Amino acid sequence: MTFWLLLTVNSVTFGGLLFLLSAGFSLIFGLMRIPNLTHGSMFMVGAYLGSTFLGGALGFTLDFWAAAIISALEVAVLGALMERLLLRRLAGQQLAQVLVTLGVSFMVADLCLMGWGGDPISVSTPAGLGGFVRVGLAVFPLYRMAVIGIAVVFAIALWLMLERTRLGAMIRAGVDDPQMARVVGIRVSRLFTIVFGLGAGLAGFAGMIGAPILSVYPGLDQDMLPLALVVVILGGTGSLLGSFLGSIVVGFIYNFGQALLPELAYFVLFLPMVLVLVLRPQGLFGGRLL
Amino acid sequence: MANSALTLSEIDAFYGDSHVLQRVSFQLGEGRLLGLLGRNGAGKTTCMNVSVGLLPPRSGSVELFGAPVTKLPPESIAARGVALVPQGRRVFKSLTVRENLMVAARVGFAGHGQIPWTAETVFAMFPRLAERRQQMAGYLSGGEQQMLAIGRALMANPRVLLMDEPSEGLAPQIVAEVMATIRKLKESGLSIVLVEQSPKLVFDIADDIVILNSGRVAVVSTAAALKQDGVDLRQHLGVF
Repeated sequence: MTFWLLLTVNSVTFGGLLFLLSAGFSLIFGLMRIPNLTHGSMFMVGAYLGSTFLGGALGFTLDFWAAAIISALEVAVLGALMERLLLRRLAGQQLAQVLVTLGVSFMVADLCLMGWGGDPISVSTPAGLGGFVRVGLAVFPLYRMAVIGIAVVFAIALWLMLERTRLGAMIRAGVDDPQMARVVGIRVSRLFTIVFGLGAGLAGFAGMIGAPILSVYPGLDQDMLPLALVVVILGGTGSLLGSFLGSIVVGFIYNFGQALLPELAYFVLFLPMVLVLVLRPQGLFGGRLL
Repeated sequence: MANSALTLSEIDAFYGDSHVLQRVSFQLGEGRLLGLLGRNGAGKTTCMNVSVGLLPPRSGSVELFGAPVTKLPPESIAARGVALVPQGRRVFKSLTVRENLMVAARVGFAGHGQIPWTAETVFAMFPRLAERRQQMAGYLSGGEQQMLAIGRALMANPRVLLMDEPSEGLAPQIVAEVMATIRKLKESGLSIVLVEQSPKLVFDIADDIVILNSGRVAVVSTAAALKQDGVDLRQHLGVF
């Protein structure tokens, strides 16, 4: 019983992390039609930067949350720069975008290996969240519960931003009909930079939030990217709710798959993706942004 | 003629290899309504796309109140006071009616002493939109979407309003409503290009008429002169 409960909590936790990672991926794809294969790299760079701040860089040491926020901001800037300097020149050329983002992700992986070496870096859970909560007979790690809470808070904040602000309405208009959005005067290219930066920043933040659970290691980027892809394909691109539900579903599939059918973990993960792509290409939850 | 609000000069435009506009020139006078007529595929919509910056012309120039805007991106042309009611309406389907209006809102160029367009003034003009302000635009009827597309264009408080077949696919009664709206807008002093396939709708309301035929300007005249002369337009417009 406890085994199943714990597996469930782990699945939801992992789903929460995946949501932070894939919400940006989905928005970027929905708005800009760019399959951003550096998204896993953003996750990893966020984790490396955060762990460095945590360990004391440039003569001062940050606490966990400050490190997570600052690394997220830095990754957001990196993402915005990449959009401005590289991807903007490739507007509408999807194959070129795929190749460029794939190439950049390999280059980032090399740079990280050079900077942080090949050994995994473990990040300890933030102060005060190292303990456990006891619910009846079951015991849950406090930090994992916190991750779920963070994901929910971010989901609500993103939803409010998209649904209740003029900026959000402009982003949705840009997803609906980018040409017409420009004709009514919306500066879609500026939205692209904002959304790309936001998506990258969220991925970087997720990297640091995930670090106490996953640790940081070379190859983390390529472990995470396919998961984000599966989430977005299951959930439908450009859909926040789809990303959220897709993340939880993938969290379950991944964790249960690894626990029950470890030798088939990828099979169990990618089979639904293949089926959805073939049978329901708009995603399980439709193509709408809500 | 009054000062020119919008001038297309010697426009050559292509979709891929197909040469859709060939040395097209015409002028929209300030405060006037120009009816742009032509058969399907004559190049009317292409003229609109060139005017709003969606299709940069290969050669020729577009001027707005005497200032060149030829290769500016659509958002810059919008900021200079051009608004489009596009063919097929193209409202933002997953936005509510109100959001459709809000994303297009700008201070713009409301005339002297005129009340600027806001969501409230648009709702006053189209009460049916007011009732549906919280509904997703995708669920509106064709006529309501057309009203929304017009309202969205007005929210920018434009100086030049381009309307691409606003009567398309609408019931006759709704068409009459839309034409009444256009008449009101004209009376408010807005400079308007009205694209239509049917000359009947346009002749009553337009000051000037331009007829396109196979990507070229075939006729430039005033509506009054064309009516008086009873020119045979069938060769350009088909039989009506």
